[in-house]
Amino acid sequence: MLELRGVRHRYDGRLVLNLDHFGVPTGALLAVVGHNGSGKSTLLRLLALLETPTEGQVLWDGAPVPRRPPPALRRRVTLVEQRPILLRGTVRENLGFGLQVRGIRRTEVNREVETVAERFGLTPLLERRRHELSDGEVQRVAVARALAVRPDVLLLDEPASSADRAAAGALYRALAAERAARPLAICIASHQLEDAYRWADDIRALAEGRLSPVTPENLFRVELPPGAGVLKHARVGTIEIAVTTDRTGAVVLAVPPTDIFVSLGALPSSARNVFAGRVTRVASQRPGLVHVTADVGIELVAAVTAEAVRDLTLAPGAPVVFSFKASAVRVF
Amino acid sequence: MDFLAEGFRRALALLLAGDAEVFGIALLTLKVAVVATIVACGIGLPLGYFLATRRFWGRRAALTAVNTALAFPTVVVGLLLYGMLSRRGPLGGLGWLYTWQAIVIGDVLLALPIAAALSAAAVQGVDPRVRRTALTLGAGRWRTAWAVAREARFALAAVITAAFGQVVAEIGAAMIVGGNIRGSTRTLTTAVALYTSQGDFGLALALGFVLIAMALVVNVALQALQGKGGA
Repeated sequence: MLELRGVRHRYDGRLVLNLDHFGVPTGALLAVVGHNGSGKSTLLRLLALLETPTEGQVLWDGAPVPRRPPPALRRRVTLVEQRPILLRGTVRENLGFGLQVRGIRRTEVNREVETVAERFGLTPLLERRRHELSDGEVQRVAVARALAVRPDVLLLDEPASSADRAAAGALYRALAAERAARPLAICIASHQLEDAYRWADDIRALAEGRLSPVTPENLFRVELPPGAGVLKHARVGTIEIAVTTDRTGAVVLAVPPTDIFVSLGALPSSARNVFAGRVTRVASQRPGLVHVTADVGIELVAAVTAEAVRDLTLAPGAPVVFSFKASAVRVF
Repeated sequence: MDFLAEGFRRALALLLAGDAEVFGIALLTLKVAVVATIVACGIGLPLGYFLATRRFWGRRAALTAVNTALAFPTVVVGLLLYGMLSRRGPLGGLGWLYTWQAIVIGDVLLALPIAAALSAAAVQGVDPRVRRTALTLGAGRWRTAWAVAREARFALAAVITAAFGQVVAEIGAAMIVGGNIRGSTRTLTTAVALYTSQGDFGLALALGFVLIAMALVVNVALQALQGKGGA
């Protein structure tokens, strides 16, 4: 539905985003992960039609969006910023702002505001002003304010950054309820991989303004067999990953790249997961940190130091062994 | 110091007596200042918003030009305008030289850079998230500008005050294009200059007090308009 094509975006000549293609399909639940400064917020601002890419095109339903998008188009997508701001006035006025600018009648605006406030537990805060709210409350109001206008695409920049676990859970449940009621695409930018793993159907990684070819690291949807023991084996492609969990059924496994031990041969150790394969890619991530991708039956990514890459002479084609403990595997 | 005390006494007596000439001059000054402030701010505030929020080629040069215009000597503006409005000038056909309209134009030219430069600075001082939030919630251009202006209301009120202060206290252009004609284009500042040069210190001082009182009233009114300043 909403697409960026051949987008190069620069701030003061500095390239901050370089994407050949990035699409948000209708009704998708998408997460963009990446470190701070990886270009996530810029990407969301382009998708929100708040900025025009220096080069390239934004397309909606295949048609190019003009440089100055008409309000009717802008109104189909709404962005909630990482640290959202409330406009001057009460929470009620904020929740109704988007509806008012659409020329909706006051009585109808009030009814919508009451409904959305109730859904997000904001009814007691309706008459408060922004300086009377905590950061978490401001974030909740901002999400509710964005949903009140019923966009086709909702863009959330670190939506749970000011919320505790319970509040974040409530927020995601509210979003799920909204998606159940109508087709709504949500694109969440987060540096918290856990958030992305837990909530998104499709996860894309952004590094230095580019889509990283290494899909957020080592993420697998699996069926965990029923059984009493804590140690379970999940089949992923041609290999079986040992994992310690009391969960069963459909889960997502994540193997943190920093927990993978890279060696040239199998070493006697406590690691329950030992896979031999060949290096397929060696990519520098941050200064000093290298992502080594190996085909061990499936593609696995290990994060090692540049020094280790040198010492082990890791290069594409080289034989390698990846090891990690069953307890290192995270289950979502 | 005796002349000063004497001046104060005369000023007070003139004001209390409700001197017709003093009130006539004050009314004309108020009319010129209000019209010029409305016109200058009506153009300057949107221009400042535009300069602060739009990225376009030559924006920096435009901001520099507006900031430089802040330092325009009023007599130079008066001279240029005199050239334009004089019978052989391009605007001579209007027949506005030595009318209150000519003073308004001069004042607008002087207050416009103030309104534009200071409102650009005021808008630039507003958290950019305010504009983005209004836009992403679907607001059009004017509604977004209004949301930003509400955040910058104190700074924008100061801009209007500064513009009014400029036009009400202006003398150079008013003297040149207005001509300081009694009962027609004599403003408080030109009158003060005239009566001082004639040695009528009391009258000059009385008019000076009226000028200060007018500025005070306008400031109080603007402060009242800003409300209590809640978020």
